[in-house]
Amino acid sequence: MKRLLGLTLGILTAIGGFVDVGDLVASAVVGARFGMALAWATVLGVIGIMLYADMAGRVAAVSGLATFDVVRQVLGPRVALLNLLASMAVNLLTLTAEIGGVALALELASSVSYLLFIPVVGFLVWLVLWRLPFEQMERLFGLAGLALVVFVVAVVRLHPSYAALWHGSVHPKVPNGEGHPTYFYYAIAILGSAMTPYEVFFFSSGGREERWSERDLAEERANVFVGFPLGAILSLAITATAALVLLPQQIQVEHLDQTALPVVVALGKVGLVVVILGFVAATGGAALETALSSGYAVAQYFGWSWGKFLPPARAARFHAVLLVSVVAAMTLVLTTLDPVKITEYSLVFSVVALPLTYAPILVAANDRRSMGEHANGPFSNLLGAAFLILITVAAVVAIPLMVATKAGQ
Amino acid sequence: MSGRTRDLGLHLLDRQIVDPDGHAVGRVDDVELMVPEDGSPPYVIAMLTGPQALGPRLGGLLGRWVVFWSHALSRGSEAGPGRIGMELVTDFGTDISVSRTRLELGVHANEDRARDYLVGRLPGARGAER
Repeated sequence: MKRLLGLTLGILTAIGGFVDVGDLVASAVVGARFGMALAWATVLGVIGIMLYADMAGRVAAVSGLATFDVVRQVLGPRVALLNLLASMAVNLLTLTAEIGGVALALELASSVSYLLFIPVVGFLVWLVLWRLPFEQMERLFGLAGLALVVFVVAVVRLHPSYAALWHGSVHPKVPNGEGHPTYFYYAIAILGSAMTPYEVFFFSSGGREERWSERDLAEERANVFVGFPLGAILSLAITATAALVLLPQQIQVEHLDQTALPVVVALGKVGLVVVILGFVAATGGAALETALSSGYAVAQYFGWSWGKFLPPARAARFHAVLLVSVVAAMTLVLTTLDPVKITEYSLVFSVVALPLTYAPILVAANDRRSMGEHANGPFSNLLGAAFLILITVAAVVAIPLMVATKAGQ
Repeated sequence: MSGRTRDLGLHLLDRQIVDPDGHAVGRVDDVELMVPEDGSPPYVIAMLTGPQALGPRLGGLLGRWVVFWSHALSRGSEAGPGRIGMELVTDFGTDISVSRTRLELGVHANEDRARDYLVGRLPGARGAER
């Protein structure tokens, strides 16, 4: 149990990348339209984020620098500011979507309009940011998010042909009636979402919150190698349930309740209860991750004191950023913007934020003076450079594809 | 620590400054150089921190805008950026350690304002340090 509790930072970080509200719907959309034909994009994404989260975590543990410390030092004030603005846009849009996502999950449980829940959800998110110690927060939301394992159980209970699922995954084919641009738009959206920059802001700063040092590198690595694959498995399980139940019935997915539908088919009411719990924990966890990432990034860029380990009065500007972020997100979601669409549009800002975040991490992980024997080896560098090129190209292609396919419609 | 040659961009600029209690003081947003009259190479006499030091390094309209607003918001209580003399530096590590606390250095007006007018007024702001 103690070992599991040590892994909750990785699990909570991965929730934001693989099963936040945008992913919960997108994974089901993809399953209902393409079957398992986009599983490779999730696998590619999990390799990329594991590689870079490990570098960011290692730098945080060994040289004591969180990711935006690194961004500022490597890129200087001007380019780092560009990254900061783009990252803040991604964070704020995602936070808006997640607050809406928690409220939508509560609507699913109560049939009361999600808009009525927004003030309560926003206040509770802020209260956790304000009062709950970091480790208790990551344990509560990381472990509760594991309720989404119900999707794996649902896959088993649906008694699928595993051979067919496997075949669909390793021999991807664009189904009749779907265009290649749409297919590749979703591939890029999955990759971009899996590698979204707030994960490394949160993971590296969380490592500092837990006061990681060189001695904790084994724990850091365990978090990377358990947390992210777990997130990817949950995401693939959601896709598989949609492929098994929704695809044959030609049901199009647009909302969170349709993501839950296959579980209800497989497991009945009990399944629905667990799914809603999982939705609340995952979207709530992603809300905390994105809000904190905003605070971490701004405070590190300007050199302010930051962290939940300090009483708020000792990190006043950090907490002011958290408060303003939550209030701004609540206001945005009350304009009745569709929370799921919001996460899709945040991809536009990722175009700037992704390369400007991952390139500095690669540089810092290679600094032998501060990293010593823990600097990157040639294998990590080769793979890291390949992913840097891949995400940059994908990010540049994303916007024309988004326009051409009307965001995958 | 004086008299040593270091790469300014690599070892000083944009680094975090921490006080003896381990608290963040600010970033090295800019430096003050002394140019000796005898023609020997210039050397750093102080680190500058805060928006009024950052603005000029950002440059352009944005930089001027940052300086203008930071000046306007400070209501004249501080002229120019926070300045920390190099004689106060005790260690050049990943962070730059200085020998005075952030209160003694007096470069913390914005943090104080955020605490006094917003964060410090909310219940539980001074909760026990963990």
